[in-house]
Amino acid sequence: MARRFPLRPLGVAFILLWTLVPLYWVLSTSLQTDAQVSAKPSNYIPPTPTLSNYLTLLRGSGDIATSIRQSTVNICVECAASTVITVVLAALAAYAFARMRFRGRRVLFYSALATMALPAYSTLIPLYRIMSTLGLVNTYTGIVLVYVSGFLPLATWILYNYMSSLPMALEEAGQVDGASRMQVLWHVVLPLARPGIVSTAIITFLSAWAQFLFPLVLSSDLSTEPLTVAIAALAGRHTVPYSLMSAAGVVAIAVPAVIAVVLNRYIVNGLLAGSVK
Amino acid sequence: MSTGVQPALRRTMTTRGPGRPPGRARRFDWLPYALVTPLVVFIIGLALFPAGVTLVEAFFRVQALNPPDTFTGFENFVHMFRDDTIVSSMANTAYYAVIGVVLSTVLGIVMAVTLQRPFRGRAVLIAVLILPWALPGVVEGIIWTGIWDSNTGLLNSVLTSLHLVNHYQVFLGRNHLVTILVIEIVQVWQLTPLSTLLVLAALQNIPGDLYEAAQIDGASGWKAFIRITLPLARPGIAVAIVQAVVATLNVFDQPYVLNGAASTGASVMEQTYFVSFQNLDFGEGYALSLLITVVTIIVSLAVVKLVYRSVKY
Repeated sequence: MARRFPLRPLGVAFILLWTLVPLYWVLSTSLQTDAQVSAKPSNYIPPTPTLSNYLTLLRGSGDIATSIRQSTVNICVECAASTVITVVLAALAAYAFARMRFRGRRVLFYSALATMALPAYSTLIPLYRIMSTLGLVNTYTGIVLVYVSGFLPLATWILYNYMSSLPMALEEAGQVDGASRMQVLWHVVLPLARPGIVSTAIITFLSAWAQFLFPLVLSSDLSTEPLTVAIAALAGRHTVPYSLMSAAGVVAIAVPAVIAVVLNRYIVNGLLAGSVK
Repeated sequence: MSTGVQPALRRTMTTRGPGRPPGRARRFDWLPYALVTPLVVFIIGLALFPAGVTLVEAFFRVQALNPPDTFTGFENFVHMFRDDTIVSSMANTAYYAVIGVVLSTVLGIVMAVTLQRPFRGRAVLIAVLILPWALPGVVEGIIWTGIWDSNTGLLNSVLTSLHLVNHYQVFLGRNHLVTILVIEIVQVWQLTPLSTLLVLAALQNIPGDLYEAAQIDGASGWKAFIRITLPLARPGIAVAIVQAVVATLNVFDQPYVLNGAASTGASVMEQTYFVSFQNLDFGEGYALSLLITVVTIIVSLAVVKLVYRSVKY
């Protein structure tokens, strides 16, 4: 018996329009000159598509282009470093929580999880003051430390669930064969947990890429400002041409958008593993 | 190989093995502690300790330009409720939360129901749907500027082309309600994918024969949606509402980019930022952080109590 939702075509059309129209619009704007962007009514399709805005960002020597280029390097460094550190530390802790019995295990595990219930910004000011005391404002280290502390609980939780669901038999076979527990982790558990690790890495990377208020507070110049902060600063000036802003916006969403579309299966699994408790 | 027997065998051998009396005099096992130490250091040093600092220093005067820090009891809180910009930011944040939670939940349910049954292209549609969740809120603010803008925006262009309005309208900054509505729609764009996935996960657990039984009893379509889908999706809907509550009560990126410091739509998080990092009045900032944290936790717990019902099949 067909039990399909009768309004499904409408729903599908709505999902597509709602998601894609804003994305199409920023892309289309970025391919126009500023004069074309100001046309009334708007050009729904770029009349003479041009890459000039992107070339300005790529090759220009003005401060807009320089700040976009440098902040793109910064965001890549910060995201890569915090993703690698988060996944490694979370995998070690998750393995201990999932497979070993030790005094204090429950207390440590649940206090780590409990921090997920706190809104992230509740620690904004103290973290700034800690980093400022340690001389870590305007350093990659300061930003990465804050990101890792924010992402570790969720990453540990996702990997803990994943590792707990793996069958014990293979690990036990490894131990019978004389492998140490770390060898079992490296040669048996981690390869089996790969999908969970990929999910965790993607979710961590995307969360890091989206950060704004923390780096806004923790970095005050181009040495560490990520792309999100640099773009907001340009938007705040109200003098940067909107077509150029759009090109910068497309640069900032290109990486996460490609990851989201190509690897969406891992994201869906990871998110559902992480949020349904 | 009989994997079923081997573990049992091994366990018997190690506990009864020579040189290891049962349950006693084991060598201290340091490995698990070594593995969890980095996590614990991060959690204590950069989450629990700072949270404690917020909790304590909210009751102190902490001004970078006016040391030393002194205990002032509830003065920060009293001061905050006497400050008109802060009080209006609380009202704004309440608007953001109500609009954001209602819209993202309703849209999430509609989208999840659309995706409930398998059809060709569903996987692609989910890949598209998830996009706004993956993008930075700040950049989404810039993207939507292109839609709301009063001179070149897409919405104005479409409305004029359809002769729904005579001339271009101001949306951002028009008045309180419209400004907050258009800013919050941008955040809803970001929140809805996760709401949809959470509700969808709950819908996937509903056994199909429930709908068949309902159909035989003459309850299909709308009635089945109200009587079966909605009640059984409650666990997913509750989690979706909680994530929206946390995000909207702490909204910062979207109003900051779309509206700057304009107090027409400033949220509590924006005021916290301005008070702490522009006026350098950390004590007041701590008090605001504490307030919004407590409110977030109370509202989240209330949602869980009111909406969440565990479902068994």
